[in-house]
Amino acid sequence: MEQILYIWYRDVVKFVRDRTRLASSFVMPFMFLILFGNGMGGAIKSLMASGRVPAGLAGFDFVKFMFPGIIGMTVFNTAIFSALSIVQDREFGFMKEIMVSPVPRVHIVLGKTLGGATVALLQGLLMFLFVPFIGIKLNPGIVLRVIPAIFLVAFTISSIGILVASRLKTAQGFQMIIQLLVFPMLFLSGAYFPLNGMPGWMNIIVKLNPLTYAVDLFKKIILEYDKMPEVLRQAMGLNLQVGGHLVTAANEAGFIALFGAVMIVLAMWSFSTVEQ
Amino acid sequence: MTKNSNRDIIVVKNLTKRYGSFTAVKGISFSVKEGELFGFLGPNGAGKSTSINMMCTVLSVTEGTAILNGHDITRDKARVREAIGIIFQDPSLDENLTALENLKLHCVMYKVDKSVRMQRIMEVLEMTELIDRKDSLVKTFSGGMKRRLEIARGLLHYPKILFLDEPTIGLDPQTRSHIWKYIMDIKERENITVFLTTHYMDEAEYCDRVAIMDHGELVVLDTPANLKNAVGGDVIRLRTEDDEMAVAEIGKRYGLAVTRDRDGISFSVASGEEFMAPFIKELPVKILSIGMSRPTLNDVFLKFTGRALRDEELSSTDQLRETMKRSRAGLRPFGRS
Ligand SMILES: Nc1ncnc2c1ncn2[C@@H]1O[C@H](COP(=O)(O)OP(=O)(O)O)[C@@H](O)[C@H]1O
Ligand SMILES: [Mg+2]
Repeated sequence: MEQILYIWYRDVVKFVRDRTRLASSFVMPFMFLILFGNGMGGAIKSLMASGRVPAGLAGFDFVKFMFPGIIGMTVFNTAIFSALSIVQDREFGFMKEIMVSPVPRVHIVLGKTLGGATVALLQGLLMFLFVPFIGIKLNPGIVLRVIPAIFLVAFTISSIGILVASRLKTAQGFQMIIQLLVFPMLFLSGAYFPLNGMPGWMNIIVKLNPLTYAVDLFKKIILEYDKMPEVLRQAMGLNLQVGGHLVTAANEAGFIALFGAVMIVLAMWSFSTVEQ
Repeated sequence: MTKNSNRDIIVVKNLTKRYGSFTAVKGISFSVKEGELFGFLGPNGAGKSTSINMMCTVLSVTEGTAILNGHDITRDKARVREAIGIIFQDPSLDENLTALENLKLHCVMYKVDKSVRMQRIMEVLEMTELIDRKDSLVKTFSGGMKRRLEIARGLLHYPKILFLDEPTIGLDPQTRSHIWKYIMDIKERENITVFLTTHYMDEAEYCDRVAIMDHGELVVLDTPANLKNAVGGDVIRLRTEDDEMAVAEIGKRYGLAVTRDRDGISFSVASGEEFMAPFIKELPVKILSIGMSRPTLNDVFLKFTGRALRDEELSSTDQLRETMKRSRAGLRPFGRS
């Protein structure tokens, strides 16, 4: 138990010490939220101004819509790239120190996943510094639900990263594979646009993408789905359906947890059986 | 050596490692007694690290096995890992953590009891003279300090067997002798079995027993003294105007086996003093220089493999000179005054 804790602690300490990484982690979200979000938001507003808009839709604010997606993006990137440290440890030789010790391999994977998840949670929470500038109102109910939701997502994504890292020898190889995963998963998750009116094939991929449910879960919590007028829910693409069933926040959390459990078991198996 | 029990703490049986069609370790067998300082001596690429890494369970075994402290390295990895400490040939510290954090992490990984942790950490830090740098990040350390920290770390959990893979490679002479002092200290104090690899002949001299390794095989295994006796008598080295002819003449006149290398020719005789005077008069080839020495482990290597250790790489003194040059150059870049 203490072994898992110390492996976790190591990642968190390094995150806190690395100021440059911390500062640069704001760049992408800033670009998306403020530049892309405002630009897109303006365009949508002018489109709506030219036609007749149903009542309630006037409340559609694209920057607000994007904010949960940006949380998703940040958490996803941080969690999946946290596994890079495994490959780097291997490159710099430190992994040998861990592998020659009597620590069960399963503990190493657990500690690493928890470390990556914690760092991603912290990074995700830091994004809430944008909140005052985009007019989202937080309340204790939102905060209390969003923290465990982010952690759950971060844990699941972190285990995907570790599964990939478990078999790779170079940081370059890892980055290449992860880049191939990151872009399609992010673009087809509803982080950047409402999931409405997609072509059929795209709809299928979106529904297969676990990140879709993560982003939707964040939207439902942060934008307070329960209190939203129906037409706004529709416009923001929040009435996600799978096989005719309206997906609830609880469904999504359950699915992400299950997916994460499968991933971490695979990661443990892969890490224990490979020659380091 | 008085502390040596008679127990074999390491028993290696037909240990083999193949990489595809290339066999890096060719079925070696030997054993090491508890409390012994045991060494592998051999040139780069001989298979020393490969053997050690298999014994330490970080490299899979192709064939054969080894029993460490009663546990089989292929079947009982966890128990083997508990019994050993290793200083790898290549660095294995986390440079973004402090020295203290690296040591704490090690204690946690090896489940060193909380009540003795800090005391042991302080003890090894003191021994390796790193105590006043304990809160600095490792990446700010010099090469010698990092090596010392690795040795300190390897000792924290009081291993029964300590493996040292080229513990002093690339270090300056002062640091090398420091590190050797620590190694001898611990061995005496804790009765730890020390298993080291080196390609420095002078380091192999410290060992209770040395195994000479070449091309994945153990060529010979004995105490340094016995190995040198096996060479027989004194070694005569000379350079002449015509080495080729000299070799032939010595063979013809004295029936001696002569070896030729970069530095001239050498052979051994029972008593160098008596042999030398008539030899210089009798040899029909002009002698440029001649010297006599007690045999070294290099001569042993030469006798058993037909090649000099130094043929393939810089000798240890050459390497030390190289390191010193490099570190001196590093101290004063571009003649800044
Ligand atoms: N992963 C590997 N794949 C193929 N050959 C290897 C590998 N690792 C080591 N070798 C080869 O095995 C031989 C022994 O290497 P090593 O044990 O490191 O020698 P030493 O430690 O005695 O210098 C060398 O010829 C080396 O090139
Ligand atoms: Mg080696």
